[in-house]
Amino acid sequence: MDILPQLVLNSIIAGAIYAMVALGFNLIYGATKFFNLTHGVIAVIGAYAFLFFGKTLGLNLFLSVFIGVATAAIAGYGLDKLIYLPLRKRKASNMALLIASLGAFTALQAVIAILFTSQFQTLWRNYSTQKIYEIYGGVITQTQLIILISGILITAALVLSLKYTLFGKMVRAVSDDEEAAKIIGINTNKIISRVFIIGSAIAGLAGILIGFDTGIEPTMGMSLLLKGVIVSVIGGVGNIYGGFLGAFLLGFAENFGIWKISGEWKDAIAFALLIIFLLFRPRGIMKK
Amino acid sequence: MKILQTKNLTKRFDGVKAVDGFSIDIEKGKITGIIGPNGSGKTTLVNLLSGMVGIDGGIVIVDDALKLSNIKPYDILSYGITRTFQEARLFNQMTVLDNVLAVLTERNVFGALFEKHNDYHLGKAKEALEKVSLWEKRNELAANLSYGQRKLLEIARAISTQAEIYLLDEPFAGLFPEIIKTVSVIIKNLKQEGKTVILIEHNMEIIRELCDYAIVMDSGKLLAEGKPEEVLRKKEVVEAYLGE
Amino acid sequence: MEYLIHLAILFAIYGILGLSLNLVVGYTGLLSVTHAAFYGIGAYATAILLTSLGVNFFVSVLAAIIVSAVIAFLIGLILSKFDDDYYALASFGFNIIIFSVFLNWRELTRGPLGIPGIGKPSFGISNFQFLISNNLEFLILALLFLGLIYFISRFIVKSSFGRILKAIREDEKAIQIFGYHTLYYKLAIFVISAAMASVAGSLFASYITFIDPSSFWLMESIFILAIVILGGLSNLKGSLLGALFLILLPEALRFVGMPNDIAAQMRQVIYGAILILLMLYRPQGLAGEYKL
Repeated sequence: MDILPQLVLNSIIAGAIYAMVALGFNLIYGATKFFNLTHGVIAVIGAYAFLFFGKTLGLNLFLSVFIGVATAAIAGYGLDKLIYLPLRKRKASNMALLIASLGAFTALQAVIAILFTSQFQTLWRNYSTQKIYEIYGGVITQTQLIILISGILITAALVLSLKYTLFGKMVRAVSDDEEAAKIIGINTNKIISRVFIIGSAIAGLAGILIGFDTGIEPTMGMSLLLKGVIVSVIGGVGNIYGGFLGAFLLGFAENFGIWKISGEWKDAIAFALLIIFLLFRPRGIMKK
Repeated sequence: MKILQTKNLTKRFDGVKAVDGFSIDIEKGKITGIIGPNGSGKTTLVNLLSGMVGIDGGIVIVDDALKLSNIKPYDILSYGITRTFQEARLFNQMTVLDNVLAVLTERNVFGALFEKHNDYHLGKAKEALEKVSLWEKRNELAANLSYGQRKLLEIARAISTQAEIYLLDEPFAGLFPEIIKTVSVIIKNLKQEGKTVILIEHNMEIIRELCDYAIVMDSGKLLAEGKPEEVLRKKEVVEAYLGE
Repeated sequence: MEYLIHLAILFAIYGILGLSLNLVVGYTGLLSVTHAAFYGIGAYATAILLTSLGVNFFVSVLAAIIVSAVIAFLIGLILSKFDDDYYALASFGFNIIIFSVFLNWRELTRGPLGIPGIGKPSFGISNFQFLISNNLEFLILALLFLGLIYFISRFIVKSSFGRILKAIREDEKAIQIFGYHTLYYKLAIFVISAAMASVAGSLFASYITFIDPSSFWLMESIFILAIVILGGLSNLKGSLLGALFLILLPEALRFVGMPNDIAAQMRQVIYGAILILLMLYRPQGLAGEYKL
């Protein structure tokens, strides 16, 4: 019975990570209306950038985190500028965008494996134990606490800025109707570009935090993408609040189900759930 | 004879009634025009009748016999209905000829696989394409046609099915006068063959010239109906249009 | 010479995979990333039947086709509820689910250990026995299968059925209006395509004599997709060209002196880059018929 608080804590932490990944994904989907399949790999890029600067080169922790996040943001910006924007300008079909993002995901994942090997690595420089806090009978590491706090802060910051800043309003305008936004004079491509930067930065941060929590390997991008998509679909694709809710639901579902389900089937089960969900409730839990 | 009827037909989008308790009778063998200001529900009505969107309330009656509360797009031809779209929905990366042949072949999967293309199909396609003067362009990709030619191909495709009821959504929009004449002739010929035509149109001249009957829609409801001349003079109708 | 025969056999196998996927992606416009799953089902069916039950190769091909077809029917049915983005995503998911089955259903597939010792094809009528004993003979068999599949694909594409598939790709709702139950058509071609992929799998299993799940993971589906898009959607000869090109590519890499350990990753980078470049600069692929 006293694993319950621990499970709850773990669920919340997992939820916070997924929320961050889904946040970026939803933001980008809202503005561009296509499934950015590279989102997972961008989180991985952030993590590996930190690995290089923070661990290998031994730079200051905060500086390395900043560089990691920035690298992810630049990667996202680059993908949009070099690939998605030209395709959008050409009025390419969604299929073309999907295929291009599939290609980018494949290539980037392999590049990371070439540069950093396929081995599983952790982001801690030394293996000394982290600070541990006890909450209501459950144990939470310092990293996990940071994950939780950043997750909440970032989501709050994003939601608030979407609602109250001019930029946020423009993003919502583009998400609602790109053509209409263009007509009233919004430079939609610039907004989309910024959305990619922000969404990718958040993903990069999530990648770094996961790296601290459990470690990284080049192929984890797909698993992250999968989680991001599941969460987005459950919450309603493009819906920020829904993504937040869905993330915690997934976190709980995974942690409470994990005793019974062997780890190997995890991805398959996640996808099966996704497909079932798509069949019966494609709009997600929240009504728009 | 009432070949098509709607009783209390309703369609809601996000809570707004695009078509609201719409009841109308369409006479067989006549050309009926549907007019109304933008957003009055004309296209939604046609979409309901052709199964493109689902019916929320009311029914459609075909041939005074078939009562339908749920219309699937792949069934409408069996009810004798075919349609064209305002923005021609052609098979762009296929040839003009293929665009027409595609709708003439066996509906059944196995039949379509083993069907031998006989002269009969080619003949029907040729007939339809010649009516719109597109037979010479039969090997041209539909994507390469001009706007007017695209609309003509839309119509050729529809008439090749030899359906009973034709729902035409703004077939004249944006056309040059010569092509308008071609389309008028085709519609008149359909009437001569005993077919029924339902025409959504904005051009009042065309309504006056072609239509036997006019139905006016406004905000999803039936505003007025009757002979075009009478209807176009009615106060409510004029006001509805001025208001837009 | 042996090496050329090896490449030719691979060409035949991937040619079959490319042709079959093109029917679904290029002609019908369904972005399916599930193909490696059916390839794998064919391979595993043949592997299991040959090693544990000593079934004749050709019979196993038939059995594999039936298994693939049934599974494809179910998957196709579910996929038909989705369009565009969600379709690709769900098909992605099915690939992963089936891969998980290959990896984790140890009782059936021996999981990551794989299945070794798969026999070569043979057939016999009363006293006459014919056993494929060398690679050249296998190549001839593979090419025969390729030829058969090409012939069937061509027949499908040139038929009225093929024309409806293209119409579905262009505008599904519009062709429905004219009385076509597009669901049946999409399902039919998906099943046919899966059956063909399964044949490729059977050939692969017998040729390599050892299979394990790693040959049938998501990247394999993406590779086959790259073949189809490179070759040119909606063009059968294009798929063969695409297969040829992408089979020869690793050889070219080897020629350039790429170290082996990163060769696999490098290939992935190139496949990914090819997809991106094609979408940006030549979406109609080598054959240049259908522009995405």
